[in-house]
Amino acid sequence: MREDYSESLSTDASVSKARLHSVLDTAVDGIVVMDDRARIILYNKACERLFGYSAEEVRGRNVKILMPEDYAERHDGYVRHYLDTGERRIIGIGREVRARHRDGTEFPIELSVGEAHTPEGRQFIGIMRDIRARKAVERRLAQAQAQLVNMTRINALDEMGAAIAHELNQPLTAIMLYLQAIKRKAAGIAGLDDTFASVIDKTVKEAERASQIIQRMRQFVEKRDPERKPVDVPQLLKECLELVSLGDISQEIQLSLDVEDGLPMLHADPVQIQQVVVNLMRNAMEAVKCAPFRAVKVSASKTDTHLVIAVRDSGPGVPPELVPGLFKPFSGSKRRGLGLGLAISKSLAQNHGGDLVVEPGGSEGGAVFQLKLPLLSTGEAPPAERADTN
Amino acid sequence: MTIHIVEDDPGVSDALALLLASVGHETATYPDAESFFEETPPGERDTVIVDLGLPGLTGIQLIRWVKGLKNQPKVIAISGQSSRAIDSLLDGDTPDVLLRKPLQEEALLQHL
Repeated sequence: MREDYSESLSTDASVSKARLHSVLDTAVDGIVVMDDRARIILYNKACERLFGYSAEEVRGRNVKILMPEDYAERHDGYVRHYLDTGERRIIGIGREVRARHRDGTEFPIELSVGEAHTPEGRQFIGIMRDIRARKAVERRLAQAQAQLVNMTRINALDEMGAAIAHELNQPLTAIMLYLQAIKRKAAGIAGLDDTFASVIDKTVKEAERASQIIQRMRQFVEKRDPERKPVDVPQLLKECLELVSLGDISQEIQLSLDVEDGLPMLHADPVQIQQVVVNLMRNAMEAVKCAPFRAVKVSASKTDTHLVIAVRDSGPGVPPELVPGLFKPFSGSKRRGLGLGLAISKSLAQNHGGDLVVEPGGSEGGAVFQLKLPLLSTGEAPPAERADTN
Repeated sequence: MTIHIVEDDPGVSDALALLLASVGHETATYPDAESFFEETPPGERDTVIVDLGLPGLTGIQLIRWVKGLKNQPKVIAISGQSSRAIDSLLDGDTPDVLLRKPLQEEALLQHL
């Protein structure tokens, strides 16, 4: 075995040079070698693509030509500083820097620098990776996430408004009915002081005013309709998966996506749907955190009338006592937040003419949340506003 | 004739009973659908006021049951929820009367 290797481990200068060149030109990353005066000695094929200069053009020239002006100005100083002090700022560390194409375009690269002591003096090797694509993805995800956070805020406000309106309605209803009852009683008492009746009247008026405020608030938060457009569900789910995995790299949760073939386009508000799915996935990931096997599976399928997106987890399921209040605002068992997530999600689903339901799971397996959205909803409006009977 | 009030909010339930008693009605209150079912079924001349958002068995389940009786009482549904939530709760069923909270005396009394 050893003999076989030893032949290819030739130290013959020409063999080793040919091999080096082949390595350099095969590399996907740009590789540049410069001497201690920052002159380019070696410049591989990937660099030619990256910077637009050919190897002949740059050989012997200062490496500065590959940098934007502000870097270029300081580069000689950096090299001198290192040679004088031995203090490492980039060698063996690597960092994100900007590079400059021949046409003047600047672009982000990841640069790592190594050093070699050769018979011809000290040389520096720079390896450069184009990270434009990665940057673009990062930017898109950051935008999507910011949009989601924003949507969540708006919806949390809406939902909070609706919840407050609903909760205040109860005592207010009781107050108004009590007042009306006492007013009737008072009317039957002869010779009662007039102020008594007038105070009750005024109190009733104030309670009515409060109830009108609540009704206005309710109309305001109920008015917001989804901004529908055609939605490619598999693509949307893929983005959801990207979004949640971006935040939870270390948790080692197995995330998977299973989409039925030939799903039709959905007519829906993509941001709202994404928000619901992301919310369900985050909950699912939270639920499996302490489970022996951690997996969250998102699937999409269709029935005759609905498209069903299901988020299934391998957690302990939803405790039966929590099921009735699960979708109600302010009933969450989480210590943080208002417990609005599922309430918002359900109301978003209902705004789309669909629904959000849960199979709580338990001894058999984790919970399954199903988001059901109507398929033939082109141009179909959500249920018409009911005329108030009061 | 009795007015049966099925409402989980004790304040609303008590106030409703008090007001209806003050205009001369006989009332019975129940905190949930389950306790309503434990009693003798209502008669044709009775009225059932039911909150749609009951815990446990829902208001709509109660309405369906009442609508299956041979002698049907009148059903008034009340709810403090949004119109969309009400639509989804009703799921196609319709009570005789639907009133939204806060309740107004006139709106209620005209149906009794």
